Amino acid sequence: MQSESPKDITDYYKHLSLFWTDIIHLMSSKPQALTSIGPMRAFAANSKKISTELIEINEDLLEFNKHLTEYYKQLADTWTDAQKKVNLKAPEVPQDIEQIEAFKRIWIDIFDNDFTELFDSQKFGENYGKLVSKELELTKHWNNITNVILQSVNLPSKEEIDEVYKEIHSLKKRVGKLELELKKRSMKENAK
Amino acid sequence: MQSESRVDPKIIEEILKFSKNVVEAPKLVSAPDEISLEVTKHDVVQEMDKTRLLHYKPLTDKQHKTPLLISYALINRFHILDIHPEKSWVRNLLEQGFDVYMLDWGTPTSMDKYLDFDDYVNGYLDAYVEYIKNETSTEKISLQGYCTGATIATAYATLHPESVKNYIATAPVIDGWRDTTVISNLAKHMDVDKMVEIIGNMPPEFMYYCFSVLKPFEQGIEKYVNFFKNIDNKRFVDNFIRVEKWLGDTPPIPGELFRQWIRDIYQDNLLIQNKMFIEGQHVDLKNITMPIFTQVAVADHLVSPECSMPLHYAIGSEDKTLRMYPTGHVGMIASSLSQKKVLPELGQWLAERS
Repeated sequence: MQSESPKDITDYYKHLSLFWTDIIHLMSSKPQALTSIGPMRAFAANSKKISTELIEINEDLLEFNKHLTEYYKQLADTWTDAQKKVNLKAPEVPQDIEQIEAFKRIWIDIFDNDFTELFDSQKFGENYGKLVSKELELTKHWNNITNVILQSVNLPSKEEIDEVYKEIHSLKKRVGKLELELKKRSMKENAK
Repeated sequence: MQSESRVDPKIIEEILKFSKNVVEAPKLVSAPDEISLEVTKHDVVQEMDKTRLLHYKPLTDKQHKTPLLISYALINRFHILDIHPEKSWVRNLLEQGFDVYMLDWGTPTSMDKYLDFDDYVNGYLDAYVEYIKNETSTEKISLQGYCTGATIATAYATLHPESVKNYIATAPVIDGWRDTTVISNLAKHMDVDKMVEIIGNMPPEFMYYCFSVLKPFEQGIEKYVNFFKNIDNKRFVDNFIRVEKWLGDTPPIPGELFRQWIRDIYQDNLLIQNKMFIEGQHVDLKNITMPIFTQVAVADHLVSPECSMPLHYAIGSEDKTLRMYPTGHVGMIASSLSQKKVLPELGQWLAERS
Protein backbone atom coordinates (compact mmCIF):
# COMPACT_ATOMS: atom_id res chain seq x y z
CA MET A 1 0.00 0.00 0.00
CA GLN A 2 2.83 2.42 0.83
CA SER A 3 4.01 2.78 -2.76
CA GLU A 4 0.52 3.43 -4.09
CA SER A 5 -0.98 6.84 -4.94
CA PRO A 6 -3.63 8.61 -2.80
CA LYS A 7 -6.25 7.62 -5.41
CA ASP A 8 -5.36 3.94 -4.91
CA ILE A 9 -5.56 4.35 -1.15
CA THR A 10 -9.00 5.95 -1.45
CA ASP A 11 -10.14 3.14 -3.74
CA TYR A 12 -8.79 0.61 -1.26
CA TYR A 13 -10.76 2.10 1.64
CA LYS A 14 -13.82 2.45 -0.57
CA HIS A 15 -13.55 -1.26 -1.41
CA LEU A 16 -12.92 -2.14 2.25
CA SER A 17 -16.00 -0.23 3.36
CA LEU A 18 -18.23 -1.69 0.66
CA PHE A 19 -16.90 -5.20 1.31
CA TRP A 20 -17.79 -5.11 4.99
CA THR A 21 -21.11 -3.35 4.39
CA ASP A 22 -22.06 -6.04 1.87
CA ILE A 23 -20.87 -8.93 4.02
CA ILE A 24 -22.66 -7.64 7.11
CA HIS A 25 -25.77 -7.06 5.04
CA LEU A 26 -25.69 -10.61 3.64
CA MET A 27 -24.94 -12.12 7.04
CA SER A 28 -27.79 -10.27 8.69
CA SER A 29 -30.37 -10.37 5.92
CA LYS A 30 -32.19 -13.46 7.18
CA PRO A 31 -33.06 -12.17 10.65
CA GLN A 32 -33.93 -8.81 9.10
CA ALA A 33 -36.41 -10.50 6.81
CA LEU A 34 -38.61 -10.96 9.84
CA THR A 35 -39.18 -7.21 9.78
CA SER A 36 -39.23 -6.89 6.02
CA ILE A 37 -41.76 -4.10 5.84
CA GLY A 38 -40.27 -1.78 8.46
CA PRO A 39 -38.10 1.24 7.68
CA MET A 40 -34.96 -0.23 9.22
CA ARG A 41 -34.98 -3.15 6.79
CA ALA A 42 -35.28 -0.81 3.79
CA PHE A 43 -32.66 1.48 5.25
CA ALA A 44 -30.22 -1.37 5.91
CA ALA A 45 -30.70 -2.70 2.36
CA ASN A 46 -29.66 0.67 0.94
CA SER A 47 -27.20 1.75 3.57
CA LYS A 48 -24.17 0.85 1.51
CA LYS A 49 -25.21 3.60 -0.90
CA ILE A 50 -24.71 6.02 1.97
CA SER A 51 -21.18 4.66 2.57
CA THR A 52 -20.36 5.09 -1.13
CA GLU A 53 -21.76 8.61 -1.19
CA LEU A 54 -19.85 9.61 1.93
CA ILE A 55 -16.58 8.36 0.48
CA GLU A 56 -17.20 10.20 -2.78
CA ILE A 57 -18.18 13.34 -0.87
CA ASN A 58 -14.71 13.33 0.65
CA GLU A 59 -13.12 13.14 -2.78
CA ASP A 60 -15.26 15.97 -4.14
CA LEU A 61 -14.73 18.00 -1.00
CA LEU A 62 -10.98 17.98 -1.67
CA GLU A 63 -11.55 19.34 -5.18
CA PHE A 64 -14.10 21.85 -3.90
CA ASN A 65 -11.64 23.15 -1.31
CA LYS A 66 -8.94 23.46 -3.95
CA HIS A 67 -11.15 25.74 -6.07
CA LEU A 68 -12.46 27.59 -3.03
CA THR A 69 -8.86 28.34 -1.95
CA GLU A 70 -8.08 29.58 -5.46
CA TYR A 71 -11.25 31.71 -5.38
CA TYR A 72 -10.24 33.47 -2.16
CA LYS A 73 -6.64 33.75 -3.35
CA GLN A 74 -7.80 35.60 -6.46
CA LEU A 75 -9.91 37.94 -4.32
CA ALA A 76 -7.07 38.52 -1.83
CA ASP A 77 -4.48 39.15 -4.57
CA THR A 78 -6.78 41.63 -6.31
CA TRP A 79 -7.46 43.39 -3.00
CA THR A 80 -3.72 43.71 -2.29
CA ASP A 81 -2.96 45.04 -5.78
CA ALA A 82 -5.85 47.50 -5.64
CA GLN A 83 -4.75 48.75 -2.21
CA LYS A 84 -1.21 49.30 -3.54
CA LYS A 85 -2.64 51.39 -6.38
CA VAL A 86 -4.66 53.43 -3.89
CA ASN A 87 -1.55 54.00 -1.76
CA LEU A 88 0.36 55.23 -4.79
CA LYS A 89 -2.40 57.56 -5.92
CA ALA A 90 -3.29 58.90 -2.48
CA PRO A 91 -0.26 58.47 -0.23
CA GLU A 92 -1.26 61.11 2.33
CA VAL A 93 -3.65 60.39 5.19
CA PRO A 94 -6.76 62.52 4.52
CA GLN A 95 -7.12 65.36 7.01
CA ASP A 96 -10.46 66.99 6.31
CA ILE A 97 -13.89 66.16 4.90
CA GLU A 98 -12.99 67.11 1.32
CA GLN A 99 -9.87 64.95 1.40
CA ILE A 100 -11.79 62.02 2.88
CA GLU A 101 -14.39 62.29 0.13
CA ALA A 102 -11.67 62.45 -2.55
CA PHE A 103 -9.86 59.48 -0.97
CA LYS A 104 -13.07 57.46 -0.80
CA ARG A 105 -13.78 58.16 -4.47
CA ILE A 106 -10.29 57.05 -5.50
CA TRP A 107 -10.56 53.92 -3.32
CA ILE A 108 -13.96 52.89 -4.72
CA ASP A 109 -13.00 53.59 -8.34
CA ILE A 110 -9.77 51.61 -8.15
CA PHE A 111 -11.33 48.70 -6.24
CA ASP A 112 -14.36 48.53 -8.54
CA ASN A 113 -12.14 48.62 -11.64
CA ASP A 114 -9.73 45.97 -10.39
CA PHE A 115 -12.44 43.62 -9.13
CA THR A 116 -14.50 44.02 -12.30
CA GLU A 117 -11.37 43.18 -14.28
CA LEU A 118 -10.93 40.06 -12.13
CA PHE A 119 -14.56 38.93 -12.41
CA ASP A 120 -14.37 39.49 -16.15
CA SER A 121 -11.16 37.44 -16.56
CA GLN A 122 -10.92 33.93 -17.94
CA LYS A 123 -9.00 32.65 -14.90
CA PHE A 124 -11.81 33.78 -12.56
CA GLY A 125 -14.56 32.46 -14.85
CA GLU A 126 -12.89 29.05 -15.19
CA ASN A 127 -12.19 28.62 -11.49
CA TYR A 128 -15.61 29.88 -10.45
CA GLY A 129 -17.26 27.54 -12.96
CA LYS A 130 -15.33 24.58 -11.47
CA LEU A 131 -16.11 25.71 -7.92
CA VAL A 132 -19.85 25.80 -8.66
CA SER A 133 -19.58 22.47 -10.48
CA LYS A 134 -17.97 20.80 -7.44
CA GLU A 135 -20.56 22.36 -5.16
CA LEU A 136 -23.24 20.83 -7.37
CA GLU A 137 -21.60 17.41 -7.11
CA LEU A 138 -21.66 17.73 -3.33
CA THR A 139 -25.35 18.59 -3.60
CA LYS A 140 -25.88 15.53 -5.76
CA HIS A 141 -24.30 13.25 -3.12
CA TRP A 142 -26.50 14.85 -0.49
CA ASN A 143 -29.55 14.27 -2.70
CA ASN A 144 -28.57 10.62 -3.11
CA ILE A 145 -28.20 10.14 0.65
CA THR A 146 -31.58 11.79 1.20
CA ASN A 147 -33.11 9.45 -1.40
CA VAL A 148 -31.97 6.43 0.65
CA ILE A 149 -33.76 7.83 3.69
CA LEU A 150 -36.87 8.66 1.63
CA GLN A 151 -36.98 5.16 0.18
CA SER A 152 -36.69 3.65 3.66
CA VAL A 153 -40.09 5.17 4.48
CA ASN A 154 -41.59 4.41 1.07
CA LEU A 155 -41.52 8.03 -0.13
CA PRO A 156 -40.69 8.86 -3.75
CA SER A 157 -37.14 9.86 -4.62
CA LYS A 158 -36.21 13.12 -6.37
CA GLU A 159 -35.91 11.27 -9.68
CA GLU A 160 -39.38 9.78 -9.28
CA ILE A 161 -40.87 13.18 -8.47
CA ASP A 162 -39.04 14.66 -11.47
CA GLU A 163 -40.60 12.02 -13.68
CA VAL A 164 -44.05 13.10 -12.50
CA TYR A 165 -43.20 16.77 -13.09
CA LYS A 166 -41.97 15.96 -16.57
CA GLU A 167 -45.13 14.04 -17.39
CA ILE A 168 -47.35 16.86 -16.06
CA HIS A 169 -45.37 19.41 -18.04
CA SER A 170 -45.70 17.40 -21.21
CA LEU A 171 -49.45 16.95 -20.73
CA LYS A 172 -50.01 20.62 -19.91
CA LYS A 173 -48.05 21.64 -22.98
CA ARG A 174 -50.12 19.41 -25.23
CA VAL A 175 -53.41 20.56 -23.72
CA GLY A 176 -52.34 24.23 -23.84
CA LYS A 177 -51.43 24.00 -27.52
CA LEU A 178 -54.67 22.27 -28.38
CA GLU A 179 -56.67 24.92 -26.50
CA LEU A 180 -54.82 27.73 -28.25
CA GLU A 181 -55.30 26.10 -31.63
CA LEU A 182 -59.03 25.73 -30.96
CA LYS A 183 -59.28 29.38 -29.88
CA LYS A 184 -57.48 30.56 -33.01
CA ARG A 185 -59.73 28.46 -35.22
CA SER A 186 -62.88 29.71 -33.53
CA MET A 187 -61.66 33.33 -33.85
CA LYS A 188 -61.02 32.79 -37.57
CA GLU A 189 -64.44 31.26 -38.03
CA ASN A 190 -66.09 34.12 -36.13
CA ALA A 191 -64.24 36.63 -38.30
CA LYS A 192 -65.72 34.96 -41.42
CA MET B 1 -0.58 65.96 20.59
CA GLN B 2 0.26 67.56 17.24
CA SER B 3 -1.79 64.97 15.28
CA GLU B 4 -4.81 65.48 17.57
CA SER B 5 -4.88 69.19 16.82
CA ARG B 6 -4.91 68.48 13.05
CA VAL B 7 -8.20 66.56 13.08
CA ASP B 8 -10.81 68.57 11.25
CA PRO B 9 -13.78 69.13 13.60
CA LYS B 10 -16.04 68.71 10.58
CA ILE B 11 -15.01 65.05 10.45
CA ILE B 12 -16.28 64.48 13.99
CA GLU B 13 -19.42 66.41 13.09
CA GLU B 14 -19.97 64.24 10.00
CA ILE B 15 -19.44 61.02 11.97
CA LEU B 16 -21.92 62.15 14.65
CA LYS B 17 -24.45 63.19 12.02
CA PHE B 18 -24.08 59.91 10.18
CA SER B 19 -24.50 57.91 13.43
CA LYS B 20 -27.61 59.95 14.27
CA ASN B 21 -29.04 59.23 10.79
CA VAL B 22 -28.46 55.49 11.23
CA VAL B 23 -30.26 55.55 14.60
CA GLU B 24 -33.15 57.63 13.27
CA ALA B 25 -33.54 55.79 9.96
CA PRO B 26 -36.24 53.35 11.14
CA LYS B 27 -38.36 56.30 12.34
CA LEU B 28 -38.12 58.11 9.02
CA VAL B 29 -38.23 55.35 6.44
CA SER B 30 -40.76 52.61 5.74
CA ALA B 31 -39.55 49.02 5.81
CA PRO B 32 -39.42 47.45 2.33
CA ASP B 33 -42.18 45.01 3.35
CA GLU B 34 -44.50 47.93 4.11
CA ILE B 35 -44.26 49.31 0.57
CA SER B 36 -46.39 48.14 -2.35
CA LEU B 37 -44.61 48.25 -5.67
CA GLU B 38 -47.75 47.97 -7.74
CA VAL B 39 -48.27 51.69 -8.25
CA THR B 40 -50.53 52.19 -11.25
CA LYS B 41 -54.08 50.82 -11.17
CA HIS B 42 -54.63 47.67 -13.15
CA ASP B 43 -56.76 44.53 -13.48
CA VAL B 44 -55.46 40.99 -13.71
CA VAL B 45 -57.30 39.98 -16.85
CA GLN B 46 -55.84 36.54 -17.49
CA GLU B 47 -53.84 33.90 -15.63
CA MET B 48 -52.01 30.84 -16.90
CA ASP B 49 -50.18 28.60 -14.45
CA LYS B 50 -48.13 31.09 -12.41
CA THR B 51 -48.11 33.84 -15.03
CA ARG B 52 -50.54 36.78 -15.14
CA LEU B 53 -51.63 39.34 -17.68
CA LEU B 54 -52.12 42.82 -16.24
CA HIS B 55 -54.18 45.46 -17.99
CA TYR B 56 -53.61 49.04 -16.82
CA LYS B 57 -56.50 51.46 -16.42
CA PRO B 58 -56.40 54.23 -19.05
CA LEU B 59 -55.38 57.73 -17.98
CA THR B 60 -56.57 59.53 -21.11
CA ASP B 61 -59.99 59.87 -22.74
CA LYS B 62 -58.72 58.85 -26.17
CA GLN B 63 -56.31 56.01 -26.76
CA HIS B 64 -54.19 54.82 -29.67
CA LYS B 65 -55.80 51.91 -31.47
CA THR B 66 -53.01 49.35 -31.20
CA PRO B 67 -52.54 47.92 -27.70
CA LEU B 68 -49.04 47.49 -26.26
CA LEU B 69 -47.92 44.34 -24.45
CA ILE B 70 -44.75 44.51 -22.34
CA SER B 71 -42.74 41.33 -21.93
CA TYR B 72 -40.70 41.97 -18.81
CA ALA B 73 -37.38 40.23 -18.01
CA LEU B 74 -37.11 36.86 -16.26
CA ILE B 75 -34.84 38.35 -13.59
CA ASN B 76 -36.47 40.41 -10.83
CA ARG B 77 -40.04 41.50 -11.41
CA PHE B 78 -42.00 43.85 -13.64
CA HIS B 79 -42.40 46.39 -10.81
CA ILE B 80 -39.35 48.35 -11.97
CA LEU B 81 -41.46 49.53 -14.92
CA ASP B 82 -43.93 51.00 -12.46
CA ILE B 83 -41.67 51.66 -9.48
CA HIS B 84 -42.79 55.15 -8.55
CA PRO B 85 -45.51 57.46 -9.89
CA GLU B 86 -42.89 59.99 -10.98
CA LYS B 87 -40.64 57.41 -12.65
CA SER B 88 -43.19 54.93 -13.92
CA TRP B 89 -42.61 53.66 -17.45
CA VAL B 90 -46.17 52.32 -17.56
CA ARG B 91 -47.79 55.51 -16.27
CA ASN B 92 -45.92 57.62 -18.79
CA LEU B 93 -47.14 55.43 -21.66
CA LEU B 94 -50.71 55.59 -20.31
CA GLU B 95 -50.46 59.37 -20.15
CA GLN B 96 -49.37 59.34 -23.79
CA GLY B 97 -52.59 57.51 -24.63
CA PHE B 98 -51.39 53.93 -25.04
CA ASP B 99 -53.40 50.89 -23.99
CA VAL B 100 -50.84 49.00 -21.88
CA TYR B 101 -50.74 45.32 -20.91
CA MET B 102 -47.97 43.75 -18.82
CA LEU B 103 -46.89 40.13 -18.67
CA ASP B 104 -45.96 39.02 -15.15
CA TRP B 105 -44.00 35.77 -15.41
CA GLY B 106 -44.78 34.91 -11.77
CA THR B 107 -42.77 32.69 -9.45
CA PRO B 108 -41.91 29.26 -10.85
CA THR B 109 -41.63 26.39 -8.35
CA SER B 110 -39.82 23.04 -8.57
CA MET B 111 -42.78 21.73 -10.50
CA ASP B 112 -42.02 24.19 -13.30
CA LYS B 113 -38.45 23.04 -13.90
CA TYR B 114 -39.32 21.65 -17.35
CA LEU B 115 -40.73 24.93 -18.68
CA ASP B 116 -38.66 25.94 -21.67
CA PHE B 117 -38.40 28.58 -24.40
CA ASP B 118 -41.28 26.94 -26.24
CA ASP B 119 -43.58 27.32 -23.22
CA TYR B 120 -42.67 30.97 -22.81
CA VAL B 121 -42.73 31.97 -26.50
CA ASN B 122 -45.35 29.72 -28.09
CA GLY B 123 -47.25 29.08 -24.87
CA TYR B 124 -47.70 31.98 -22.47
CA LEU B 125 -46.75 34.90 -24.73
CA ASP B 126 -48.70 33.63 -27.70
CA ALA B 127 -51.78 32.92 -25.59
CA TYR B 128 -51.72 36.41 -24.06
CA VAL B 129 -51.21 38.06 -27.45
CA GLU B 130 -54.22 36.14 -28.78
CA TYR B 131 -56.25 37.23 -25.75
CA ILE B 132 -55.37 40.91 -26.29
CA LYS B 133 -56.13 40.71 -30.01
CA ASN B 134 -59.49 39.19 -29.20
CA GLU B 135 -60.33 41.67 -26.43
CA THR B 136 -59.34 44.75 -28.42
CA SER B 137 -60.56 43.50 -31.80
CA THR B 138 -57.19 44.13 -33.40
CA GLU B 139 -55.24 41.86 -35.72
CA LYS B 140 -51.85 42.91 -34.45
CA ILE B 141 -50.41 44.36 -31.28
CA SER B 142 -47.33 46.37 -30.37
CA LEU B 143 -44.83 44.33 -28.36
CA GLN B 144 -42.10 45.60 -26.05
CA GLY B 145 -39.44 43.33 -24.57
CA TYR B 146 -37.06 44.39 -21.84
CA CYS B 147 -33.70 42.70 -21.14
CA THR B 148 -34.20 38.91 -21.13
CA GLY B 149 -37.88 39.53 -21.81
CA ALA B 150 -36.73 41.08 -25.09
CA THR B 151 -35.03 37.82 -26.06
CA ILE B 152 -38.33 36.02 -25.60
CA ALA B 153 -40.17 38.81 -27.43
CA THR B 154 -37.62 38.71 -30.26
CA ALA B 155 -38.13 34.97 -30.65
CA TYR B 156 -41.88 35.59 -30.64
CA ALA B 157 -41.61 38.31 -33.29
CA THR B 158 -39.68 35.93 -35.57
CA LEU B 159 -42.10 33.03 -35.09
CA HIS B 160 -45.36 35.00 -35.04
CA PRO B 161 -44.70 38.12 -37.15
CA GLU B 162 -48.32 38.16 -38.26
CA SER B 163 -49.35 39.19 -34.70
CA VAL B 164 -46.82 41.98 -34.13
CA LYS B 165 -47.43 45.42 -35.62
CA ASN B 166 -44.51 47.19 -33.90
CA TYR B 167 -41.65 45.78 -31.87
CA ILE B 168 -39.70 47.66 -29.21
CA ALA B 169 -36.52 45.97 -27.98
CA THR B 170 -35.23 47.60 -24.80
CA ALA B 171 -31.72 46.44 -23.78
CA PRO B 172 -32.31 43.08 -25.46
CA VAL B 173 -30.00 40.12 -24.77
CA ILE B 174 -29.09 39.03 -28.30
CA ASP B 175 -25.40 38.47 -29.01
CA GLY B 176 -23.86 36.55 -26.09
CA TRP B 177 -20.35 36.41 -27.52
CA ARG B 178 -20.14 40.19 -27.86
CA ASP B 179 -21.47 40.81 -24.38
CA THR B 180 -18.69 42.34 -22.30
CA THR B 181 -20.34 42.10 -18.88
CA VAL B 182 -19.25 40.04 -15.88
CA ILE B 183 -22.56 38.12 -16.14
CA SER B 184 -21.61 36.85 -19.58
CA ASN B 185 -18.17 35.73 -18.32
CA LEU B 186 -19.79 33.69 -15.54
CA ALA B 187 -22.38 32.28 -17.95
CA LYS B 188 -19.74 31.18 -20.47
CA HIS B 189 -17.94 29.07 -17.84
CA MET B 190 -21.04 27.53 -16.30
CA ASP B 191 -21.77 23.79 -16.41
CA VAL B 192 -25.44 24.50 -17.03
CA ASP B 193 -26.43 20.88 -17.72
CA LYS B 194 -25.13 19.78 -14.34
CA MET B 195 -26.80 22.73 -12.63
CA VAL B 196 -30.23 21.99 -14.11
CA GLU B 197 -29.91 18.24 -13.54
CA ILE B 198 -29.01 18.62 -9.88
CA ILE B 199 -30.87 21.67 -8.62
CA GLY B 200 -33.60 22.11 -11.22
CA ASN B 201 -34.57 25.78 -11.31
CA MET B 202 -31.94 28.50 -11.19
CA PRO B 203 -32.19 29.70 -7.56
CA PRO B 204 -32.53 33.43 -6.78
CA GLU B 205 -29.48 33.19 -4.51
CA PHE B 206 -27.29 32.48 -7.51
CA MET B 207 -28.72 35.54 -9.22
CA TYR B 208 -27.92 37.63 -6.15
CA TYR B 209 -24.32 36.42 -6.34
CA CYS B 210 -24.14 37.46 -9.99
CA PHE B 211 -25.50 40.92 -9.12
CA SER B 212 -23.11 41.29 -6.19
CA VAL B 213 -20.05 41.12 -8.45
CA LEU B 214 -21.26 44.06 -10.53
CA LYS B 215 -19.50 47.18 -9.25
CA PRO B 216 -19.18 45.57 -5.81
CA PHE B 217 -17.85 48.56 -3.89
CA GLU B 218 -20.04 51.25 -5.43
CA GLN B 219 -23.14 49.07 -5.05
CA GLY B 220 -22.16 47.27 -1.86
CA ILE B 221 -20.82 50.17 0.23
CA GLU B 222 -21.19 53.63 -1.29
CA LYS B 223 -24.85 53.16 -2.16
CA TYR B 224 -25.79 52.44 1.46
CA VAL B 225 -23.58 55.22 2.83
CA ASN B 226 -25.45 57.63 0.54
CA PHE B 227 -28.75 56.24 1.75
CA PHE B 228 -27.99 57.04 5.39
CA LYS B 229 -26.46 60.40 4.48
CA ASN B 230 -29.67 61.39 2.69
CA ILE B 231 -32.09 59.97 5.22
CA ASP B 232 -33.89 63.34 5.56
CA ASN B 233 -34.53 63.50 1.81
CA LYS B 234 -37.94 61.84 1.62
CA ARG B 235 -37.99 61.57 -2.15
CA PHE B 236 -34.51 60.04 -2.29
CA VAL B 237 -35.11 57.42 0.40
CA ASP B 238 -38.53 56.48 -0.95
CA ASN B 239 -37.05 55.78 -4.35
CA PHE B 240 -34.07 53.99 -2.76
CA ILE B 241 -36.23 51.63 -0.71
CA ARG B 242 -38.45 50.86 -3.70
CA VAL B 243 -35.50 50.01 -5.94
CA GLU B 244 -33.84 47.98 -3.16
CA LYS B 245 -37.03 46.02 -2.61
CA TRP B 246 -37.24 45.34 -6.32
CA LEU B 247 -33.56 44.29 -6.45
CA GLY B 248 -34.02 41.87 -3.56
CA ASP B 249 -36.96 40.07 -5.11
CA THR B 250 -36.05 37.85 -8.01
CA PRO B 251 -37.93 34.64 -8.81
CA PRO B 252 -36.21 31.37 -9.75
CA ILE B 253 -35.79 30.70 -13.47
CA PRO B 254 -37.22 27.40 -14.75
CA GLY B 255 -34.37 24.93 -15.27
CA GLU B 256 -34.96 24.00 -18.92
CA LEU B 257 -35.47 27.63 -19.92
CA PHE B 258 -32.26 28.55 -18.10
CA ARG B 259 -30.36 25.69 -19.77
CA GLN B 260 -31.43 26.84 -23.26
CA TRP B 261 -30.79 30.41 -22.32
CA ILE B 262 -27.19 29.94 -21.21
CA ARG B 263 -26.33 27.42 -23.92
CA ASP B 264 -28.05 29.01 -26.93
CA ILE B 265 -27.45 32.68 -26.11
CA TYR B 266 -24.24 32.95 -24.07
CA GLN B 267 -22.28 29.77 -24.84
CA ASP B 268 -23.16 28.87 -28.44
CA ASN B 269 -24.58 32.28 -29.42
CA LEU B 270 -27.17 30.73 -31.74
CA LEU B 271 -29.76 33.53 -31.84
CA ILE B 272 -27.72 36.17 -33.65
CA GLN B 273 -26.31 33.54 -36.00
CA ASN B 274 -29.86 32.52 -36.97
CA LYS B 275 -29.15 28.99 -35.78
CA MET B 276 -31.54 28.85 -32.85
CA PHE B 277 -34.49 26.47 -32.81
CA ILE B 278 -37.47 26.40 -30.45
CA GLU B 279 -39.28 23.06 -30.46
CA GLY B 280 -38.15 22.47 -34.03
CA GLN B 281 -39.09 25.98 -35.23
CA HIS B 282 -36.29 28.04 -36.75
CA VAL B 283 -35.81 31.41 -35.05
CA ASP B 284 -34.73 33.45 -38.06
CA LEU B 285 -34.21 37.14 -37.24
CA LYS B 286 -34.81 38.02 -40.91
CA ASN B 287 -38.49 37.18 -40.23
CA ILE B 288 -38.70 40.40 -38.22
CA THR B 289 -39.96 42.77 -40.88
CA MET B 290 -42.29 44.94 -38.79
CA PRO B 291 -41.20 48.43 -37.59
CA ILE B 292 -38.69 48.04 -34.77
CA PHE B 293 -37.34 50.48 -32.19
CA THR B 294 -34.19 49.31 -30.35
CA GLN B 295 -33.17 51.09 -27.14
CA VAL B 296 -29.68 50.67 -25.75
CA ALA B 297 -28.02 52.14 -22.64
CA VAL B 298 -24.38 53.09 -23.13
CA ALA B 299 -23.44 52.42 -19.49
CA ASP B 300 -25.36 49.16 -19.20
CA HIS B 301 -23.31 46.75 -17.07
CA LEU B 302 -25.92 43.96 -17.18
CA VAL B 303 -26.48 43.80 -20.94
CA SER B 304 -23.71 45.61 -22.75
CA PRO B 305 -24.59 47.71 -25.84
CA GLU B 306 -22.43 45.32 -27.91
CA CYS B 307 -24.81 42.53 -26.93
CA SER B 308 -28.01 44.43 -27.85
CA MET B 309 -27.09 46.43 -30.94
CA PRO B 310 -26.56 43.50 -33.36
CA LEU B 311 -30.34 43.00 -33.38
CA HIS B 312 -30.73 46.27 -35.28
CA TYR B 313 -28.48 45.01 -38.07
CA ALA B 314 -29.65 41.38 -38.19
CA ILE B 315 -33.39 41.85 -38.75
CA GLY B 316 -35.29 42.12 -42.02
CA SER B 317 -37.18 45.36 -41.17
CA GLU B 318 -36.77 48.43 -43.33
CA ASP B 319 -38.42 50.71 -40.77
CA LYS B 320 -35.91 50.41 -37.95
CA THR B 321 -34.60 52.86 -35.38
CA LEU B 322 -31.72 52.50 -32.93
CA ARG B 323 -31.45 54.87 -29.96
CA MET B 324 -28.59 55.01 -27.48
CA TYR B 325 -28.94 56.71 -24.12
CA PRO B 326 -26.23 57.93 -21.70
CA THR B 327 -27.45 55.86 -18.76
CA GLY B 328 -27.47 52.34 -17.33
CA HIS B 329 -29.71 49.28 -17.51
CA VAL B 330 -32.22 50.49 -14.92
CA GLY B 331 -31.67 54.19 -15.63
CA MET B 332 -33.05 53.68 -19.13
CA ILE B 333 -36.46 52.59 -17.77
CA ALA B 334 -36.84 54.14 -14.31
CA SER B 335 -35.18 57.53 -14.03
CA SER B 336 -35.77 61.17 -14.78
CA LEU B 337 -33.88 60.62 -18.05
CA SER B 338 -36.32 57.91 -19.06
CA GLN B 339 -39.23 60.25 -18.32
CA LYS B 340 -37.73 63.26 -20.09
CA LYS B 341 -36.07 61.64 -23.08
CA VAL B 342 -36.44 57.87 -23.51
CA LEU B 343 -40.23 57.66 -23.16
CA PRO B 344 -41.15 60.77 -25.19
CA GLU B 345 -39.01 59.47 -28.07
CA LEU B 346 -40.55 56.02 -27.81
CA GLY B 347 -44.05 57.47 -27.50
CA GLN B 348 -43.63 59.60 -30.60
CA TRP B 349 -42.29 56.67 -32.62
CA LEU B 350 -45.04 54.34 -31.43
CA ALA B 351 -47.88 56.87 -31.85
CA GLU B 352 -46.92 57.36 -35.50
CA ARG B 353 -47.33 53.61 -36.02
CA SER B 354 -50.30 52.84 -33.73
